[in-house]
Amino acid sequence: MIEVEHLHKSFQTRSGGLLRGQRRTVEAVRDVSFRVARGEVVGYLGPNGAGKSTTIKVLTGLLVPTSGRVEVGGLVPWRDRRRYVGRLGAVFGQRTTLWWDLPVRDSLDLLRDVYRVPPDRFRENLKAFTALLDLGPFLGTPARALSLGQRMRADLAAALLHDPDLLFLDEPTVGLDVVARERIRQFVAHVNAEREVTVLLTTHDLTDVERLARRVMIIDHGALLYDGNLPDLQARFGSARELVVDFEAPPADPRVPGLKLVSSEGPRVTYAFTGAAARPIALATAHAPVRDVTVREPDIEATIRRIYEGGLLGTVS
Amino acid sequence: MNAALLRWGLLGQAAGINARLYCAAARLSFRRQFAYPAATFWGLLTNLFFGALRVAVLLALFGLKPQVAGYTPADAVTYTGLTQAFLAAFSLFGWYDLMRTVHRGEIVTELLRPHSFLGFWMAQDAGRAAAQFLLRGVTILTLYALLWGLKLPEGAAGWGLTLLSAGLAWACGFAFRFLVNGAAFWSPDAVGIGRFAWALMGLACGFLMPLAFFPAWFQSLLAWTPFPSMMNSTVELWLGHVSGTQVLRVLGVQAAWTLVLLGLARLVLARGLRRLEVAGG
Ligand SMILES: Nc1ncnc2c1ncn2[C@@H]1O[C@H](COP(=O)(O)OP(=O)(O)OP(=O)(O)O)[C@@H](O)[C@H]1O
Ligand SMILES: [Mg+2]
Repeated sequence: MIEVEHLHKSFQTRSGGLLRGQRRTVEAVRDVSFRVARGEVVGYLGPNGAGKSTTIKVLTGLLVPTSGRVEVGGLVPWRDRRRYVGRLGAVFGQRTTLWWDLPVRDSLDLLRDVYRVPPDRFRENLKAFTALLDLGPFLGTPARALSLGQRMRADLAAALLHDPDLLFLDEPTVGLDVVARERIRQFVAHVNAEREVTVLLTTHDLTDVERLARRVMIIDHGALLYDGNLPDLQARFGSARELVVDFEAPPADPRVPGLKLVSSEGPRVTYAFTGAAARPIALATAHAPVRDVTVREPDIEATIRRIYEGGLLGTVS
Repeated sequence: MNAALLRWGLLGQAAGINARLYCAAARLSFRRQFAYPAATFWGLLTNLFFGALRVAVLLALFGLKPQVAGYTPADAVTYTGLTQAFLAAFSLFGWYDLMRTVHRGEIVTELLRPHSFLGFWMAQDAGRAAAQFLLRGVTILTLYALLWGLKLPEGAAGWGLTLLSAGLAWACGFAFRFLVNGAAFWSPDAVGIGRFAWALMGLACGFLMPLAFFPAWFQSLLAWTPFPSMMNSTVELWLGHVSGTQVLRVLGVQAAWTLVLLGLARLVLARGLRRLEVAGG
């Protein structure tokens, strides 16, 4: 569905005055290549300024890349822009596509004509999305009076009313509360499952990715660092699992042969291990009388943080 | 109205144009003008105040002379009424909407839609202009008629041709405004270019003064520019200063400039979009 090969995009920026200003080139995207199959949901992660939005803008035909080949559903986004954009939906979390001072319903109705959606189909979709996203209470409200969560829901509906094959979401949950995020995730999962919509999603909220995407791509400083599924990422770069042991009494020597000691605080001692937990537990219980044990899984958030901070990954795997 | 829209719709469909959409966009844009009644009221009041001022100045200029440059005092009053009435509809004080959309990156939304960008903006501006003309223009003209008396076009043909000319003046002005706003694709401070352009337009389209009042050499210079087509032509038709086959010539010139400027606008837009660097996100 999406094919990207050796994509580069750089921006010229000018700092200082018009005459004496210095020209600087920012390489926002550097040699990025990937493919996305129909019906996939891909999470696109990276720290601020990594190049996520720039990639999405190229993929939606808004920016002409500096070099590289991009083909989506057989079309080159920026070259066939008008034909191409009819087949995709996009939500840029920071912006709205709704008419500022008109009721939401009018903005949505206009889309029927924009995309020439058959009236029956349009009515059906609007009804379904109104139910799924609970748009009913504010269809008559002008966009400027909506809360952020309401606006995002309306924008999401607006992006999908014409049955696109492709959905680009650039930070669709930014600034929303837990309940609103969950609702949006459920909706995206639903349209992906029911309508086979291919989804590319950027976010800083890893729960979005864990809930929606089997596959993640990580980009930093414009270069793709990782492309694969979440469990593999965890296995390769996650910190080790931890075994927390509460001994009956503070052990004389917390060290256990065969286990890596992480910390020791009175009766509570933490060990690190990889693989299955049975053997480490057996070793610890053999060491001294034990009251309780817990196994702590490394969280994905910590893994990703480590990748951003330490540049754990060289270039693309 | 609906029958006419339908007919245009069918014509458009035949030409592959999404006419339904442009009608809908114009309608929405028309409606949104009614969302701010207070703004309309104060705008109207300002229009009327300056209108009265201009009437006073022009009449003082006439003194006891029965005519200046072909304008009778009644013509002059009607002229100020018309300019005040067209002021909002033709955005004679300037128009930065497109520029703002580009600078703030809101243009994204529109580029994600499969319709003609220029066509959509034109439809929206048509709706806006029509609403402004109804809300402010017609009110001003009515008040002028009551306060000072107003010359009107003669007969159905006169009305028809004058209104056609007003439509062309709007279209020609729109194309010019769109072109000027296109500077935003190249420069982050295109507002300055805008200010200069609107000043030029105000002077050269006959908003500051009837073009007939200018020296002959300046008038013949302006005749080579599109600016008179953006308002002065319509005023002269309304006042009956142009007659017979000359009317068709004036309309033809207006239509020609409109097409030329729209063509240029398309070109600039295509260039601009290629080098667009969408901000934000
Ligand atoms: N129009 C532009 N002109 C100049 N530089 C730009 C432009 N757009 C983006 N950049 C630069 O390109 C780089 C990548 O920006 P991009 O918006 O793609 O990041 P991002 O991954 O979406 O970040 P965030 O998570 O903060 O949204 C940044 O260094 C940014 O400053
Ligand atoms: Mg971004």
